[in-house]
Parts: sequence; structure tokens; C-alpha cells
Amino acid sequence: MRKNSIPRVILTVILFVMSLFFLFPVIWMLANSFKTDAAITADMNSLRAFVPPALNGSFFENYVTVIKNTDFIRYMLNTLFYAAILIVAGVIVNGLAGYALAKIKFPFRERWVLIIMMLMIVPSETIITINFLFVAKMGLLNTIFGYILPMIVNPFNIFLFRQVFVSLPDDVWEAAQLDFCNPVKYFFTMVLPMSKTVVATVSVFTFLGVWNDYLWPSLVFTSSDLLTAQIGLNSITSNDNTTMGQTLAVITMITIPVIIIYALFSKQIVEGVVSTGSKEG
Amino acid sequence: MFPNGNMNIMSFIEFKNIEKQYPGADKKSVTDFNLEINEGEFIAFVGPSGCGKSTTLRMIAGFEDITGGELYIDGKKVNDVLPRDRGIAMVFQNYALYPHMTVEKNISYGLKNMKVPADEIKRKTDWAINILGLEEYRNRKPKNLSGGQRQRVALGRAIVKNQKVFLMDEPLSNLDAKLRVSMRNEISKLHRELGSTTIYVTHDQVEAMTMADRIVIMRNGVIQQVGKPMELYEHPANKFVAGFIGSPQMNFYNVKLVGDKVLFEGGETMTVPASVLSKLGGKEGEMIMGIRGEDIKLDPQSISVHEADKKSAVVENAEVMGNENNLYFTFGGSQTIARVSKYEISGVGDMIDFVFNPSRVHFFDKNTEVCYV
Repeated sequence: MRKNSIPRVILTVILFVMSLFFLFPVIWMLANSFKTDAAITADMNSLRAFVPPALNGSFFENYVTVIKNTDFIRYMLNTLFYAAILIVAGVIVNGLAGYALAKIKFPFRERWVLIIMMLMIVPSETIITINFLFVAKMGLLNTIFGYILPMIVNPFNIFLFRQVFVSLPDDVWEAAQLDFCNPVKYFFTMVLPMSKTVVATVSVFTFLGVWNDYLWPSLVFTSSDLLTAQIGLNSITSNDNTTMGQTLAVITMITIPVIIIYALFSKQIVEGVVSTGSKEG
Repeated sequence: MFPNGNMNIMSFIEFKNIEKQYPGADKKSVTDFNLEINEGEFIAFVGPSGCGKSTTLRMIAGFEDITGGELYIDGKKVNDVLPRDRGIAMVFQNYALYPHMTVEKNISYGLKNMKVPADEIKRKTDWAINILGLEEYRNRKPKNLSGGQRQRVALGRAIVKNQKVFLMDEPLSNLDAKLRVSMRNEISKLHRELGSTTIYVTHDQVEAMTMADRIVIMRNGVIQQVGKPMELYEHPANKFVAGFIGSPQMNFYNVKLVGDKVLFEGGETMTVPASVLSKLGGKEGEMIMGIRGEDIKLDPQSISVHEADKKSAVVENAEVMGNENNLYFTFGGSQTIARVSKYEISGVGDMIDFVFNPSRVHFFDKNTEVCYV
């Protein structure tokens, strides 16, 4: 059997066409987010639907209106802030758990790993009621802490960390001990820097999880000050006064960070998916 | 220095009946280990893999619990002392460098944690980098270094801390043969300059012979013999030590000693000189005889001296080493390796005449393998 039976050129063409299929809604969204509703309707049945309007004074009209009339920027900043906290807290908590499961000897360690792997199968929606009741009982509804607390621990991330930490050489820890390094310092100055890739992977997944989550923040938050971008998107787009163009502008704004993250960290995302054989969410 | 021999020199590291048994294991990994190491000594633990030498070293470091006995370092019992508080530095087999740090940071990391003043850290790090010839690699990370350079960084990390004891766990085993020889020399030099007590674990008897003041030979968790390199070579305590030290390995024959005659399998005989017989103290019967390759002589002069005991054999393999040759042949039912000068060239299939240098033979008990002579 010849291995390269399909010439490279044909492969490239096929991949190009396929990526067009995936790209066309995004291009359509981007092009129309700069148009008035009348223009969107007029262009609907032609290829012009994929072409942005001429650059003039009202080019960013939809974006300006959305930013002026709604708190969407604030929701985006809120979400970024939550994501940042959850990335830091998640790396520390799940990382420490992963380290313990990988390197510290305690009874039934392998069983614990198995239990945590089993938890990965449980969809987060099934435990959301319990989490809600838990947070409500603690009087933490409508607080940042109440939103963040149940999201910190993540069996998928624990497992990811554990898989990477297992292969860290033990003699580095032994050498560090003789260099007067304590366990906490070792974790932060040795283990995490030696595992940059998994830290990046977990951070990216955490960010995407927070950014795309709708259900949990919609349950916890009632005050509009604390809302996240996805909830903001929903409330803006479901408002009767919002035009089609404004809706597309909001969707574009919420999509851009995700695209940037994918572009910057595609390597980590691929590695994260490959190393566990699954994709979350 | 102590002519009356009665002065009680305080040993620097002392093992008292040290034992190690892993949980769930039915056999001890180290059994009744007793040893005293003096300050500044270079001690090599040597033995085949699984003999307990690394386990013992790791017990000194504190990475393995001591399950029996007492360990003293500088007069202090350290059984329950944390590794960092034992005053030791260690060089690991796989270097164990910090991969995300530069050479300089790897070396200075311990000093920083010891809260040494910055200018002192700089001075010591510069000294170590200089002494180990790492100047041009100062800002490189371990992945951009060769094996030998990495091992030097590991040495640097150990020497800057001014610890009293150096532990080295097969530090050269990952290097190629040529580099091993030069690093051997560097470690010896470093030891002479620093004078710290060094315990060096290796499975390579050549490293042990060339570097150590004293060698501890271990097998199955038990010390076989402790002594200076030449003591072990000339006066092995048992057949294991005799076979382990020296390359090529000592030749062994199942023999029967009757009077002053050695009877080999196959009927050949050899006369044992009075000097050897007197050490045997009248022991006779079935024994194991050992003789080193260099004590098998092919030169006409030796043969003429021991004409009556002349033997012959067919060379089965010849290793040409350049400075000497190793000739393989079968004699007395055993594979024999003779180490002869480069001028005594023989090819495979040649018939050679040879004699054993009878004053250089060793005799071992057939059952206990203890060395009589």
C-alpha cells in the first residue's frame, strides 16, 4: 500500500473547503454585525451577505449602541474576572489534589483515582440542584463566592494534573529537599513550572468553561451587577428593542475572546484532549 | 598517627546493625550493616544490582526509613532526622536537575533557600561554575546540556552548600565510557580539594577500585568485605569478592587438594608451594581454586621454572586489547581467561603451553566459599 496515495494538493483543497463550511457562519455573523437590519434583509439572498458594508461613520453603529445602552462590557469584564479567579484557584486546588494522587502514598490511592475518574462521567447538570441548595443554605446566593465555590474542584482537571504529575521524576523532589525546599514551595516553584503545558491546558479549559457557562450563573446571580457575558447576551438578544444587527454585534463580541484563546493555545487544547482521550463540555 | 593503636578515633558516619525491610517484603533488603567511616574518607559501596547498596545510601540521605539499627552522622543519631537536616549533599544517577532553571540557578537554588546573603551566593556559585568548567553554559537550561555537563551541574549543586557528607548514587552510569573515565578523575580531584566525606555507590568495580579509599562490597543486603582496593584484590574474603573485583574475572576450578598436590577435573595436577600450604593449615580435600588471569603465564621463562606443572590448551577466543591480550580456553572443566602481554599473541585454535603461578593461587571452601588463602 502506498502511504501518500492522496496528493498533498488535493488534501489541502479538501481541508480548505471544509474549513469554509465551519467559517461561513462566523463570516456571515461578522459581516452582518456591521449592517442595519434593512441592509441585512436586503443582502440575505446574495453573496453580499458575506461582505461587510463600506467603511463609513455608522460602520460600528451596532457595537456603539450595544455598549452604550447595555452593561455588556461590564458582563464581559465580570466573566473575565471570575475566570481569572477560577483559573488560579482551580490550578492550586486541582493541582494539589492531582499531585497527592500522583505522588503521595496513602491507603486506597488508586481507588480514589478511580472514583475521581468516575465523577468525570457525571454531567454537571445532574449535580447542579445539589450545588444550588448547598450554596443557598450557606446564604451565598447572588455572591461571587457562591458562584465560584462549587466550580473550583473539577475531576477532569484533577485527573489531567495527576496524569502529568505521575511522570515527574521523584529524584527532583529528593534533590529539592536537600536544597532546603519545603513541599509547598516545591509545588509552586518546581512542580507547576515543570508542568507548564498542563497548567496552560487546565487554564484554557477553565476559561472556556466559565466563558460559555449559562446555567450555573443564571441560577446563582440575580443582581445585574454580577451577571456574566452569556446571561447578558441572552437578556440583550431577547429584548424586543434589540435589532438583528445589534444581536450579531453582541454575539461577535462574545465570540472573539474564544477565538483568540483557541488561536493562542490550540497546542495545549489538542494536548489536553489527546492526553485524556476526551473533551469536556 | 596513633602508634599505640588504642586511641578511639570518633568515626564520622557510623552504622550500627542497620537493617531495611520494605513493608510486605519477606526478606530484608539490607541486613545487619555495620560500618564506621572516617571524616574525609572516600568510600565506595559496590555490588551487583539489588545488593542493597543504593538502599543503604538512601537510608543515609533519609529518603528511606531505617527499619532497624542506628545511624550516626558526626556523633548525632539521625534515624529520625529530616534529609535536609542531616548535613548531606547528593548527586543522583539521573542528575535530578531542575529543568526550568538555568545552570546558575540550579547551582544557587539551595543557597537561596538557606538564606545565604546574595554576594556570598554569587561568590560560591561563581566558584563552583569555575571549578567545574561550566562558565560558558551558565545561562543554559539542562535540556541544552550534554550528559557530562549535566552531571557537572549536579556536582556543582552539591559542592556549593558546604555539606559535610557527599552521597553519590551511580553518578557516572549514564555517561559513555570515555567521559566516565574523565569524570572519574574529576570527582577524585574534587574530593581531594574539598576533603568532604564521600560515599559513592556503583556497580562498576573499576570505579570503586580507582576512586575509593575503602570499598564496601555488598551482596543480597549483606556486607561481604570492607577494605582498601588492593586488600580486596589480593586478599578477598570469599569467592564472591574474588570474582567481583578484577577484570577479567578470577578463574575458578573445582579441585581436590591431596598433600601438596592439586588435582583438577580431567586429571591434571599442580604442586602447591609450602608458603601457600602453611596458610591452608592442613586443610585438604575438595575445594575451589582461584587464580587471576595475569597469574597464568605463557612466557618461556615462567614455563621453564614450573616445567613439571606445564599445561596446554586450545585457544577458543582471543581479545586483543592493544596493551595486552585476553586468551579464552577451557581447562580443568572451567572457562579460563589468561591475561597475557601484547607480545604473546595467539590466535583462535592455537595450542598454547602455560603454567599457573603457584604462589598466587587462592583456595575457597567448597560450601561456604570462604577464602582460606
